Amino acid sequence: MDIFLTYSLTATKYVLIILSVTILIRCLRSMLSDRYESETWAYIRLGRETLPVTHWENVIGRSRSADIRVDRKGVGRVHAILKRSDKGVWTIYDVFSRRGVWVNSVKVGPRGMNLDTGDVINLNGATVRFQDITTARRQKLEAQRTSAGKSVSPLGTILELSVFELFLLLQHAMTAQEEYLPSIGLAFGLLLALEWACYLSMRLMGRSGFEVETLAFYLTALGLSVAASSTPEDMYKQILLLTAAIVLFLLMGWWLRSLHRTTLMRTVFAVGALALLAVNVLASDVVFGARNWLEFGGYSFQPSELVKVAYLYVGASTLDRLYRKKNLFVFIAFSAACVIALALIGDFGTALVFFTCFLVISFMRSGSIATVLLAVAGAVMAGVLAVSARPYIGQRFASWGHVWDDIYGAGFQQSRAMSAAAGGGLFGKGAGSGWLKHIFAANTDLVFGMVCEEQGLIIGICAVLAVLAMAFFAVRSARHGRSAYYAIAACGAMSMLMVQMALNVFGSMDILPFTGVTFPFVSRGGSSLLSCWMLMAFLKGADTRRDASFVVKPVNTIEEYEVVYDAERDKYDYDDDGRGQA
Amino acid sequence: MKKITNRAVSVLLIAALVIVGMTVYVLRYIDDGRSWALAFSRANSGASGTITDRNGEILAVFDETRNAYAEDALTREACYHVTGDYWGRSGTGILSAYWDDMQSFSLLTGTTHAESAELKLTVDTSLCRTAYAALLGQNGKGAVMVMNYKTGEVVCMVSAPSIDPMDAEAEPPEGAFLNRCLSSAFTPGSVFKLITAAAAIETVPNIETRQFYCENLYSIAGVEIHCTGPHYTQNFEQALANSCNIAFAQIAVKVGQENMIEHVRDYGFLDKHTLSGLTGAAGNYPLDFVGDPELAWSGIGQSTDLVNPYAMLRFVSAIANHGVLAEPHLLESENDGGATRLMHADTADRLAAMMNYNVVAHYDPDNNFPGLPLCAKTGTAELGDGTSHAWFVGFLNDENHPYAFVVLVEQGGGGLRVAGPVANRVLQEAMKH
Repeated sequence: MDIFLTYSLTATKYVLIILSVTILIRCLRSMLSDRYESETWAYIRLGRETLPVTHWENVIGRSRSADIRVDRKGVGRVHAILKRSDKGVWTIYDVFSRRGVWVNSVKVGPRGMNLDTGDVINLNGATVRFQDITTARRQKLEAQRTSAGKSVSPLGTILELSVFELFLLLQHAMTAQEEYLPSIGLAFGLLLALEWACYLSMRLMGRSGFEVETLAFYLTALGLSVAASSTPEDMYKQILLLTAAIVLFLLMGWWLRSLHRTTLMRTVFAVGALALLAVNVLASDVVFGARNWLEFGGYSFQPSELVKVAYLYVGASTLDRLYRKKNLFVFIAFSAACVIALALIGDFGTALVFFTCFLVISFMRSGSIATVLLAVAGAVMAGVLAVSARPYIGQRFASWGHVWDDIYGAGFQQSRAMSAAAGGGLFGKGAGSGWLKHIFAANTDLVFGMVCEEQGLIIGICAVLAVLAMAFFAVRSARHGRSAYYAIAACGAMSMLMVQMALNVFGSMDILPFTGVTFPFVSRGGSSLLSCWMLMAFLKGADTRRDASFVVKPVNTIEEYEVVYDAERDKYDYDDDGRGQA
Repeated sequence: MKKITNRAVSVLLIAALVIVGMTVYVLRYIDDGRSWALAFSRANSGASGTITDRNGEILAVFDETRNAYAEDALTREACYHVTGDYWGRSGTGILSAYWDDMQSFSLLTGTTHAESAELKLTVDTSLCRTAYAALLGQNGKGAVMVMNYKTGEVVCMVSAPSIDPMDAEAEPPEGAFLNRCLSSAFTPGSVFKLITAAAAIETVPNIETRQFYCENLYSIAGVEIHCTGPHYTQNFEQALANSCNIAFAQIAVKVGQENMIEHVRDYGFLDKHTLSGLTGAAGNYPLDFVGDPELAWSGIGQSTDLVNPYAMLRFVSAIANHGVLAEPHLLESENDGGATRLMHADTADRLAAMMNYNVVAHYDPDNNFPGLPLCAKTGTAELGDGTSHAWFVGFLNDENHPYAFVVLVEQGGGGLRVAGPVANRVLQEAMKH
């Protein structure tokens, strides 16, 4: 390598680091420190007080954690649920029928009762009055909310990200073999094009929240760099996958816009997920000890990745359903089926990811720590059984913490990953200049080592923090979510991605047992990239900042539905899913 | 909703665990990153280098394809404690101490492509081989150090037992990884009388005119001191040559514990000395008040006295060089290592003369050390279990061969009978150069 090239590579390394850190900080600031006010959807008048209804799904009761707190004698801690469908129909449900709820003196039955402005709700003696919000009032309130990207311009961040990607490409241009340059260039070009197409179309829709996409694109760019240095001959496939991932993200986001449509199709998704897993258990090829690959005309494909999306889709739930025990049992049975299928397949890493996600969702749904502990105890026992039944799983645990004692055996991959990662120092060796790529699974299970070696520890940490930032944002958004469905789905998706990332990073760095799962967005692997981008749609669904997310319908467009609702409300009785029944 | 969103905090728990894990990783990286990075780094960082002795003979050579040592097994074993090995099994050794420099790693920049590193040592492999063979000729447990007291170049550092680093399969003998020259301290016995003598010269005004009487047994405050004598009446010089315990017991008491401690400390026997980045062990001397009988024993190198062979080498080198210690070193690049005065020139010269008298009067130089301009002192350090360490320390009073030496045969027996021949073989070899 001549001197000029060496110096250029060194210079680009520092540029990449500075850009990474600033992109991360800009996104963090924009997502976590900007003001984030709740939306207001209706009012409840309680004596002289007027309580704003800030969600689509609200608990009415005496409890401090009730969304609408009616601290009057006779009212249950969780007494009733007030729900708005995305068509704008308000329904009230009785949670404890022994106390009873009456609307205009008519007792609310098990299917709930629709509400209209001015209706008087009697909660076992305490009366409140329901008042829907007027269009003018809502628009006025909406205008007072802080819009996304107010303090940090999303354009600036995406410009920085573009420069980041160009510098990555520049590094590859200096190190890659000449024959692969066109495909690598094309891949990065496409990444830039997709990124800008996404951004510009969001702006055209009047949306200004782009932090989630920016971070996902940032991680995807790192993944593309990993692919370019480890398998440059496969870049065209990456291009195809990348396009597919973005298209699926947009489709999924569009699909989630309607809560009605989303909840309607849950059974379909559940059946689809189980069918995919069944096919997987019966028909897939055994690759590297796990039967989780299906072959489609030369493309290998991991069904379990798509099942992740379906799992969240099915696992998340609206508030009214949460108070029916039956639903939780159905969810537990579905989860058990998924985890058992994955264990049969032999993909214990993914089984663990599902299981943790199950814990988060079931805790969010039930709030019962006892249930969670019980589930953990059950899983530990099942794990012990699995290890005793299949000794090769036990071997992974045996080498855990001792990989340096067996660098030519059980610790082969991890010790190389750790060595390469440390060899990269803080600033890395530059894209394409590492040696870990020659080790088996470097661009998937050991990808954290590869990122640290080529881009340095700082960017490695930035990648981890990017995922954490999205998780923090999911928790923050959940507080202001319209429906529990989006809140649970976003939190579930982020816990899934975090656990997956933790298993990948800490498994390859010998802090946890090596389970061989992928680092979200960064690890090379088609189905994984697709599922990660689809999970991002759930996160976008929870983002209710003003004009932030394309998945969340803005207040203005919602007004259109009100007309429909007015016309239809006499003909239809809405049940809990918002499903119309004559 | 509020209930559910409150429970979303469980997501933060996972995030917190990830942060804990990352912290663990970063701390481990700071701690062990160097060893991780260099574990496979021959092939990866492209580091290469050679370590040679003063005559250019290869002691270790490594590049992208190999980690090699000297060609013949005797050299590898004799020089093992100088070179060390690529796995860092020996705590001392140039490979361990300078591996990082030769590999170029820093926590900030990771591994970098190292220029070929060449380290030229001051040791002479032929002296090391001779010393190692001589130690094997005794009980195979001991230490030999030789240095040029004018320049500070350590030309021989051998510790036995040793291993052949190329023969990774062999079961290493017990204590093979311990460098007895640097990493251990031993009961000194009579070689300690040199220190007591030096302290006496500097603190007892009429020491040279004093007479000491030895009748084999002497009692201090009811505690008996034995001697190999009887030596009857003797002056200071004769007392050292006789290695008379009774005389030196009296001298130590005369010097007093405070003065003894001060001199032991000044001569560096309580310090951990470094030799080109390799750290040695500290010695011991009773520092708390012990009373006259114990003070007497400490003055003749028993009691709780412990001496590190390298510290002793520094001391005799200073005596040989008129009280000035040329800083010892193993790397040729450190040849201008500076010098420090350990004692007055007069004291050093007087001790040197006495050590020469020792040899002439008592060590039968014509038979034991033919042709050597030798100044020396023997030591037979009784360990209380019937065995004793054999010591022989001193220097050649020769402008062309200015070598100071320390020979220790662990549990070898009598100083002159066991350590003497080892010293003779090494010094005869040194005289050829």
